[in-house]
Amino acid sequence: MKLVARFSAILLLSMGLSLNAHAFPDEDVSIVIPYSPGGGFDRAVRAFAPYFEEHLGGDVTVLPRNVPGAGGRRGTTSVYRADPDGYTLGIINLPGFALPRILGEPAEYDLREMSWIGRLEAQDYVLLVASDSDIKTIEDLKQLEEITFTSTGYGSTVLAATQIVASALGLQKKNPIYLAGYSGTSDSLVALVRGDGNVGMAPISSAAKYIQSGDLRALAVTGASSPLEGVPTFAEAGYPELTALNLQRALAGPPGMSDELLETLRAAFNKTVNDPGFLESAKKARMDVAPLDGKATAEAVMEAFEFYEKFKADLSNPNAQ
Amino acid sequence: MFDSVFTAAEYLTDGMNLLFLMLGVVVGIIFGIIPGLGGATAIALLLPLTFGMQAEQAITLMGGVMGAVTIGGSITAILLNTPGTAPNAATCFDGYPLTRQGKAGMAIGAAVTASSIGGVIGAFILILLLPVAKNIILYFGPPAYFMLAVLGLTALTAASSNLLRGLVGACLGLFIGFVGYDDMGGATRYAAGVDYLWDGLSIVPVLIGLFAIAEMLKLYVMGGSIAKTGETGNLGVSGTLEGIKAAFRHFKVILSGSAIGAVIGTVPGVGGTVASFLSYSFTLQTSKDKQNFGKGDIRGVIAPEASNNAKDGGSLIPTLAFGIPGSAEMALFLGVLILHGMDPGPMLLLEREFTIFVLILALLAATLVSGVIVLLTARYLIKVTFIDSAILIPSVIVVSLVGAYALHNSIGDVFAAAFFGVLGYLMHRFDYPRITLVIALVLGGLMERNYFQTSLMYRGDWSKAFGDTPFVILLVLAVLALLMPVISSVIKRKTRQSV
Repeated sequence: MKLVARFSAILLLSMGLSLNAHAFPDEDVSIVIPYSPGGGFDRAVRAFAPYFEEHLGGDVTVLPRNVPGAGGRRGTTSVYRADPDGYTLGIINLPGFALPRILGEPAEYDLREMSWIGRLEAQDYVLLVASDSDIKTIEDLKQLEEITFTSTGYGSTVLAATQIVASALGLQKKNPIYLAGYSGTSDSLVALVRGDGNVGMAPISSAAKYIQSGDLRALAVTGASSPLEGVPTFAEAGYPELTALNLQRALAGPPGMSDELLETLRAAFNKTVNDPGFLESAKKARMDVAPLDGKATAEAVMEAFEFYEKFKADLSNPNAQ
Repeated sequence: MFDSVFTAAEYLTDGMNLLFLMLGVVVGIIFGIIPGLGGATAIALLLPLTFGMQAEQAITLMGGVMGAVTIGGSITAILLNTPGTAPNAATCFDGYPLTRQGKAGMAIGAAVTASSIGGVIGAFILILLLPVAKNIILYFGPPAYFMLAVLGLTALTAASSNLLRGLVGACLGLFIGFVGYDDMGGATRYAAGVDYLWDGLSIVPVLIGLFAIAEMLKLYVMGGSIAKTGETGNLGVSGTLEGIKAAFRHFKVILSGSAIGAVIGTVPGVGGTVASFLSYSFTLQTSKDKQNFGKGDIRGVIAPEASNNAKDGGSLIPTLAFGIPGSAEMALFLGVLILHGMDPGPMLLLEREFTIFVLILALLAATLVSGVIVLLTARYLIKVTFIDSAILIPSVIVVSLVGAYALHNSIGDVFAAAFFGVLGYLMHRFDYPRITLVIALVLGGLMERNYFQTSLMYRGDWSKAFGDTPFVILLVLAVLALLMPVISSVIKRKTRQSV
């Protein structure tokens, strides 16, 4: 009898184990980074992956995988088309990857359908001038006749943010020039210091070092409160519609993930973003950690679409022939 | 400042750090030799190794890679007509013909010597420029970059033996450069709905095709082995010694190549490939006897190799001072810096003087050490050129295609390499120069972007560009470069008439 009990216990145990082996996750999970190694998205995922792996449980590895190309569209499309089994996730640039759809360009994915696991980072924007400029406030800027913005190219988030700010401040009627085409945000900030243009926009974290070194002066920041001493938010300066303008990095899976699976991933995500070890690595990687759970992230995506839809008329390419 | 230099030197000679440097050098040489892999791949692979290291150790390791990689790449360029890394492309033009004449040892000796000296000069220029780094970067705006590209294109006239055919190649290069998404106009050009073409053709698979694969097709048609003449005896040490001597005989070429490399290196987004082409064409234009260029002139090896090692020094300036990477390699290196708590920016150069000097000395040591390693192994490497084509061709094609794939893990790059392989062979067969195609491809994008930016900046009024000093200086140089052949031929005719 005892033997039978033991035997059946072992049998049950092995059945349990084999059942367990089919539970998620039982193979490696990859997180697609739609850019080349070395950038902010790459650093964020590489800081996040080892801790996410720990909290996901199971004997699996979470692998960052760079799929660069087509301004992030190639990687995002590969996530969108993957099986919704939880083994392919991606880091998403918001609103960057939403822009093609808003601008009416071909995009093979729709961010609104994706399974949102959580938001890792959010960065507010800052409006900048060179520190030797006569422009000291937004009002000074509005008095200016010839306005030239330095910016990255059409389709980039910085150019869209610049156009939205120009529209909200009523600068569009002065036919400002958008000196686009710099290869990155740092490049366009240096161009602003050099005087190629007289005003520019950038995420606060990219611009901070130039503000500290005294090369650039901040006029106003987006968001609810200003991290820069003596610099007002746009809301304080009288433009509350610009508060919601920001740049977010969020984790998502393909559309149609089962609720159970999504819950597992969201729970692991929430544990990871509160892990002191992760926060330590994030600090080293210069991340602006601003976690949001999966449900709230999905809402933030819808809000971003609404926000940019509102300014759609201002977002056409300023330099199209 | 000199205190920092000595403490940095002391730090590097410490056992463990020396080991990291050597590891970097060995990985750098190997990744340089294999076409398509290059410095960016090596840094990406070594990056996770540095997680537990001190910032200075990580930088020593990466400095070792960056100093060694173009030296490794020159070997492939010389022996197989395949640039091991993109900045070695210009080395093919004369390095490979030397190999075919059985003078591979000499070419390698000259290349390594030029690289090492170029690296040392580049490091010194970097040290000298550090205090004024910011001013240099702020001096060059879109008008100056535009003119710089134009100046580079004038080199086409000198680089083509038959002007018309040379220009056809150049137009083809410019056309290929147009392919992809143009973020100024917001249009996708000549992409034919193919996703792969959205980003444009990247330079490495194009080079792998035009040179490596085209060369193997050529060899297949002709049969035999790469080296036509030359006894095994005159290959080894004596050949490389001759090359070293040749490099010192043309020390002026090394100096001008290094200066061009270091200065062009500081221009963000331009990088080593443009630097080595400019250096090659500068040497070509300023030499009296040009008829041997492209057929195995040792100066054609020395000039680009001196500049592509000197450029490391220069290209660190925008990376460190502004966080603007000049190349894929520098973008990854930027990642290493940030990971180790060094935020590139105007303050970094002052705050982390010691770390910066560790980097400079690591680069310097890496160029010298990898030079010695390559010279010692040259006699074995050269044997590759005596391998029968039946074995060599499939091996090289496989390695090339794998290299093309490894770059971005993209099968599109493999097709691109194959396509350009066929194109390269046809160009050779019908006697169109590949060099002008490559120069135009490298410079076209730079020229176009900065042309539009200048137009926008000055609101269409180009006369304002004459208020920009670097623009005017480069314009004068470009005009001189174009008129030089005319003037010299007129003078020659006059002197002949008077005789």
